[in-house]
Amino acid sequence: MMSRFIFTLLFIFAVATAFAQEKISGSPERGYQSYMKYQCYTCHGTVGQGADRGTGPKLAPYPLPWPAFEQQVRRPRQDMPPYRKEFVSDQELTDMYAYISSLKPGPEAKDISLLNF
Amino acid sequence: MAKDAFDRRAFLKGAAASAAAVIGTQLAASSAPAAQTESQGAATNEAAQPRDRIILRPGSDFMVDVIKATGIDYIASNPGSSFRSLHESIVNYGGNKKPEFLTCMHEESSVAMAHGYAKAAGKPMGVLAHGTVGLQHAAMAVYNAWCDRVPVMIFAGNFLDADKRRPGVEWYHCVQDPALILRDFTKWDDQPVSLQHFAESVMRAYKMALTPPMGPVVITVDGDLAEETAHDEKKLRMPKLTRTIPPQGDSGALAEAAKMLVAAERPVILADRVARSQDGMKQLVELAEALNAPVADIGGRMNMPTNHYLCRSGDRRALVGGADAILMLEVADPWGQLFTISDPHHEYRRFAKPDAKLIHISLGDTLTKSNYQDAQRFLPVDLAISGDAQASLPALTEAVKSAVGLTRRATLADRGGKLRDDYKRMKERARQTATLGWDAMPVSTARLSATLWNTIKNEKWCMAVSGMQWNRTLWPATEYYNFIGGSGGAGVGYGAPAAVGAALANRDKGIITISFEGDGDLMYAPGVLWTAAHHKIPLLMVMHNNRAYHQEVMHLQKMAALHNRRMDQASIGTTIENPNIDFAKLAQSMGVYSEGPITNPSAVGSALSKALAVVKRGEPALVDVVCQGR
Repeated sequence: MMSRFIFTLLFIFAVATAFAQEKISGSPERGYQSYMKYQCYTCHGTVGQGADRGTGPKLAPYPLPWPAFEQQVRRPRQDMPPYRKEFVSDQELTDMYAYISSLKPGPEAKDISLLNF
Repeated sequence: MAKDAFDRRAFLKGAAASAAAVIGTQLAASSAPAAQTESQGAATNEAAQPRDRIILRPGSDFMVDVIKATGIDYIASNPGSSFRSLHESIVNYGGNKKPEFLTCMHEESSVAMAHGYAKAAGKPMGVLAHGTVGLQHAAMAVYNAWCDRVPVMIFAGNFLDADKRRPGVEWYHCVQDPALILRDFTKWDDQPVSLQHFAESVMRAYKMALTPPMGPVVITVDGDLAEETAHDEKKLRMPKLTRTIPPQGDSGALAEAAKMLVAAERPVILADRVARSQDGMKQLVELAEALNAPVADIGGRMNMPTNHYLCRSGDRRALVGGADAILMLEVADPWGQLFTISDPHHEYRRFAKPDAKLIHISLGDTLTKSNYQDAQRFLPVDLAISGDAQASLPALTEAVKSAVGLTRRATLADRGGKLRDDYKRMKERARQTATLGWDAMPVSTARLSATLWNTIKNEKWCMAVSGMQWNRTLWPATEYYNFIGGSGGAGVGYGAPAAVGAALANRDKGIITISFEGDGDLMYAPGVLWTAAHHKIPLLMVMHNNRAYHQEVMHLQKMAALHNRRMDQASIGTTIENPNIDFAKLAQSMGVYSEGPITNPSAVGSALSKALAVVKRGEPALVDVVCQGR
């Protein structure tokens, strides 16, 4: 039973990784415009950093693999509203994914003197 | 018009006599016994025409004596004719000291100032307002204070005797039952019809307001009683004010709670409106250490030092989910600590274990009303103890110590290592999360919080108002005055006036008061900026300016999705842009030093330092920082 569960997890991970490695033909610039237009920043911040008080999880850096990202936007878990194709096209979603994928990690906590509490 | 002109002439003619009367009143107040004042007033009245009538010892002077006897230091008020006599007595008879009249620009600000003041000062401020239009303006802030269980002494002006009311506005401003509009969310009220009645009711109101569960109270000031001579003053008695000792929970019940907690493998303490003092914090620490149990400080008050290894507020959900016993201490929303409801689909889920033992020490059941739903959802518990949480802590801790045998003591001690590791992980996680969006523009809330800490870390500080959690998550806070909790009822418009009130209380204690002001919140009644400048109340206000009623954007997005409609119009009616509000100019226009708007995170630190220098000189300052939503 446990081995079947682990196998399933590995399979999902492999598929997700394969998708993630696909070249996503989105434009980060257009993606930023869409990200702002649909006000994704209200919950996730303008650079996908997430928000205080558990409002929205971080999106970047290191975003979810594309299938998981698409699934979460179209048929989300928890309280996030769904962004359906009728209102957010596949191209817009792809562009937004390109935008958050383009965001680079910031400095680490140990290198930020203001975070030496 | 002709009538007005007549009245004005009459007023001017009487002015000289009035000026002399003021001097006479002051003399009478300072040196003459009450009986002499009374006879002088009567003699003058007998001989004079109505327009020449002088009242040497008005009832409102005695009212000031009563207010002084309570120890109230300040009266926040927007001036109003229905309490003009008391206003005048405060200024001239009372010398405008203890209480001092604070000029406010909105009654909601008056009450919210009193709300913040009470939590920082540990005693109530007075509020003076019209019994009709004033209390209507004040109502929202009174509701906040009620929900937050905070004492506020409200004095409401009114002319009960219709025979004496001036036509027109005075009728609009009078009411049969002034406190009615607030009765659903005040602890007590009265409408005294004599000065003795006033004295006793003020003392009762003050006592009740300060007896846990605390709350706002209302005393009506009848205009005629205030303006007319204080008759038979020799017979008036000033009641002695004695504070009520807060009730401790039943000893047997506390012993039972102690057994349940000691027997638990993973006990958790949830603390909300618990501590009223540094002693309260110390007592909570002692209980937590006796059990070696983590504490999640919900934040209604400053309950637990954030640098203590048992302070695990950031892990609250996980702790509750794993707990086999949960001790709730004056938790405002107990059901919400164990359950979630998905929004907007209303599916609810209990994340606490179904067999977790639940104990609640609270006075919540002793003060509830039916209409407003601040009681929150009903939560069945295993042991409900009616008692004041802080007052019950010492006995509970002793009971825990008694219940712990030698073997159990070793087991509890063994938990310490893991709990210390968990604490370190929580703090490190917070630091790592704070790095996300560190260089973002608009400024990330984590960076803003960290930068403010860097500015005030060497001061005695009080964060009076904040909509963000970073301060409690990141900052080492060890003193009771560091945080004073939230608004209670989440009514918008609380932030700025509450911070001004707290800053007033902290002014003489050498505590620097700071606040994060929401842009939407400040715009409810920005006139409090002028009040802070006018009364030289030192306060460092930092705008958390996200140019929106931020959470309403998210609500609109949810509704659009629920209704299967376009998702790109959630900004309509929810954002505060086009034009952007220049809060620095707004502050400047009211005499408050300001910096901003600042969008570059690297520019925030120097602006805060300049503003802090102004605050340390004894004045308010505002720094407008354009921020991320949250």
